[in-house]
Amino acid sequence: MPCTRQHLFWITALLICSLSGASVAQESTVYAAVVATKLFVVGAANPQTGLHYQHPSGDTVWQHTGPNNIRAFGCAVHPGSQQRVLYIAAGNGLHKSSDGGATWKVTTGWNITEVLSVSPDPRDPLRVYIGTPYGVFRTTDGCATWKECSQGLGARFVSLVLASPLNDREVYCATEDGAYISKDGADTWTRMGLSVGGVRTIAQHPRNPQILAAGTEDHGIYMSTNGGRWWTRREAGVDHLTFYAVTFDPNAPDVMYAGGYVTGIYKSTDAGQSWKRMNKGLNVLTFHTLAVDPRNSQRVYAGAYWGGVYRSENGGGEWTPLGPPDSQVWTLFIHP
Amino acid sequence: MTVRSLIIAVLLFGGLAATRAQSHADYLKHYSERARHIRSAFDTSTAASYYAIAARYASNNNIPLADSLFRVALREPRGDMFWMFPVIGAYLHGKDKMSPETRAVVRNAWKTYAPYRGDTENHWAMYYTTLYLAAEQWPGLPGSEWFNGKSSQENLEEAREYLIHWIRITTTIGQGEFDSPDYFPEYAISMCLLSEFAQDPLMRKRGQMMMDYFLADFGVEHLNGQYLGGFSRIYQPAVFTPLLSGASGFAYLYFGTGTEAETSAGPLPETPKARPPGESPWSGWVLLPSLSNYRPPEIVYNIATDRTTPYLHKERKRVRNVIRFGTEKNPPVYKETYVTPEYGIGSLQGGLLQPIQQHTWSVRFTSGRPYTTIFGLHPYWSSYELGMFFPEELKPLIADVVASKGTYNNPDKWTGGSPYERTFQNRNTLLVLYDIEPGTMTEHIDGFFPGNLNERLIDSSGWIFCKAGSTYIGWYPLQEGEWLEERETPGQAKNVIGRPENLSQKQPVRNWRFRSHKLQNGYVIEVRSEREIGSFQKFVSVLRTRIPKAILTPGKVSVDYTSLSKDRMKFAFPDSRILNGKAVDLSATKLFEGPFLNAEVGSEKLTMTYKGAKRVYDFRTVTVTE
Repeated sequence: MPCTRQHLFWITALLICSLSGASVAQESTVYAAVVATKLFVVGAANPQTGLHYQHPSGDTVWQHTGPNNIRAFGCAVHPGSQQRVLYIAAGNGLHKSSDGGATWKVTTGWNITEVLSVSPDPRDPLRVYIGTPYGVFRTTDGCATWKECSQGLGARFVSLVLASPLNDREVYCATEDGAYISKDGADTWTRMGLSVGGVRTIAQHPRNPQILAAGTEDHGIYMSTNGGRWWTRREAGVDHLTFYAVTFDPNAPDVMYAGGYVTGIYKSTDAGQSWKRMNKGLNVLTFHTLAVDPRNSQRVYAGAYWGGVYRSENGGGEWTPLGPPDSQVWTLFIHP
Repeated sequence: MTVRSLIIAVLLFGGLAATRAQSHADYLKHYSERARHIRSAFDTSTAASYYAIAARYASNNNIPLADSLFRVALREPRGDMFWMFPVIGAYLHGKDKMSPETRAVVRNAWKTYAPYRGDTENHWAMYYTTLYLAAEQWPGLPGSEWFNGKSSQENLEEAREYLIHWIRITTTIGQGEFDSPDYFPEYAISMCLLSEFAQDPLMRKRGQMMMDYFLADFGVEHLNGQYLGGFSRIYQPAVFTPLLSGASGFAYLYFGTGTEAETSAGPLPETPKARPPGESPWSGWVLLPSLSNYRPPEIVYNIATDRTTPYLHKERKRVRNVIRFGTEKNPPVYKETYVTPEYGIGSLQGGLLQPIQQHTWSVRFTSGRPYTTIFGLHPYWSSYELGMFFPEELKPLIADVVASKGTYNNPDKWTGGSPYERTFQNRNTLLVLYDIEPGTMTEHIDGFFPGNLNERLIDSSGWIFCKAGSTYIGWYPLQEGEWLEERETPGQAKNVIGRPENLSQKQPVRNWRFRSHKLQNGYVIEVRSEREIGSFQKFVSVLRTRIPKAILTPGKVSVDYTSLSKDRMKFAFPDSRILNGKAVDLSATKLFEGPFLNAEVGSEKLTMTYKGAKRVYDFRTVTVTE
């Protein structure tokens, strides 16, 4: 059979596909927990929301996995699971997939609701923490059962829980009342030295567990260099007060990004000492989540409160909207 | 007997006869007629609506067509828990009649479509009731056959556990989404379905008992199709056109009161035949109950309809879950309602008890449809209020809420509670005080006055005297204000989930808004009927001389007033209430307290009494004794 021009086209296309497939295997996966799109109404016909994901080579194409319309606030991949164990923290509970997103199960019952964040223990495949407006809950049996672990918290409203990747059994949580630390896997909590309430997020330095950053509702960005005992407000270059997201570059931790209510996106290159706004290309200014690609420090993702995900390929120098359109992105998670 | 006394006797007899309870046999006969009337609006429809499908199955009316409509409707499931209950309702009415193919389509929908559980008490009542019934219908299936990945057994147990928990909470510290004219249907439908279709006899019994409970809770504060008093949630048009609310359809079905749904545009045609093709005056909400074999006990009907003797009724409910800005998850709500044959006046204690749609107090009366109410409020909104109850981010919350509830940040809105508002009610006298913080979004208070009142006199004494048929309302503003002509949303304007909401479409209806811009403010409300006080002129003359003494300085707002009933009421904002020299302790309020319903806090019991009859509900033992 002669090789026609059409045959050549398909051979080339298959070659490109197989090559891109190979590159997909080597590149990060970006997960986005989408709470809603504009005009969400409970009970109405709403556009697809929930867990979306994409690969950088996929350009702006988002795939969807898991249930739709669950008010997905958080997402995570259990470290070491090869992306087989996925979690969605959602309005109707903690969803888990053990087969890479092929099937899902709501693992919590009626007594756990409005799950705002999820953090699997990097050292224990069966241990997961979730933060809710009703406190912190923990499973130690792979989500078969859940137990409330709020002892010591001054307020139950927990917007973020974070299991430290660096210290065993160390967990942080951001609450209405302040920032808390647990050193016994959430059995007990102690308020850290941060004097202000309304703590919205906490991030830990990827290499030095003593360095912490916090975003607050009304008091800007704080940092600690002694594991949360003392905190310093970082004001240089910061013109705003409400920060929902603070993140470190995993490969160059002196580089940080922060965003919040009508803040645009701030960047620091001196470990949070000073900040500069990097808003070129942004059509919205309220951001809820930020993440730096562990494989490429120049590639940064920002989840807008309404406006989908933005990506920068030059360390925040310029941003491009990626969709999903008009969506409220609560959490971004990048699996390297 | 003089001619005059004879006329009075005839009038009185006629009036009593109008409200006198009918025999239970008559009641059941009339109930069936009303249920049939409602069903007739649906069972010939060819729309792929779950209600029409359910009605066809129940009426055995062209089952192949019902099957076909059901399969069409299930091509694109949507609506979450609002999808779940009509689907299971239609299925349960038709499962023994429908084709195996249709049964399979219904089953498959519960595998492939994932309804959201929602975030309110009514959402959960619908979600878990329906999930319970569905799990009973399809037992023994693995998680892969269900939308949430849980097995039939897991779903059944979770739903059962929640429903029992919810019943326990409701019967110990009160409902959170309490006394809602617009959300009553969600609870009634859920309990109706449970009472009829649960296979577990105990759960079926719980459904029956809760249905009685909710109907009694409504019935005791019901007048002529209207819910009375303060409410946790109500949508805007229904707040000033009370018969527009969903509960009124249920009042028609169960109590035979009110009429078919009236709108602000006037009553709809009386009979189904006279209606334009395809238009039903009935919301689908009342269809499933009208198909049900549930019937309220005689005592509930009597409590709801016998208005021969005025009475005072008190209740205790609970605040919706407080997740921020508070240490108590469910603080108490205290409600007092005074009910007469002509009017009812009721109030909550004030403050923020529910987000967005709270209705703190109102007078509602039988005359002057559709605008049968007078009420007031401080139109308040804030991210603080929303943040108390919703987990989303505080600062964008107002915009997020406004996207679906457009009235929320409208300074002219007619619903919502305020932290700067408190009430003190003593039977048919009500004091309301405001101490509004400067810089609050709205620095005014509003009062609603129907344009079709028989009288609205602005008296030189300071009182505003109103007459609505044989009900007289006196309103004494503690500060000066202005009268604004009110415009109303058309009753038919509905948002995407069918709720009337859209304020952008306004039309003049000649109602009146009394607005006062003073931050330290308040008013005194007196309500009497002709039966209670005589002529309107007498009401005016005796009230004219009763001038409240008020102190209106920031942080020190109080009023001292001696009512028409000669009760001395001293009220200081926020919570000092003194009646005839004795401090009023609201915290002593029982779950239900009055001539008809009584329940102790924490008891899980409810006692209904009417004349010599008594019926005791014990939710702990799931028993009813007479």
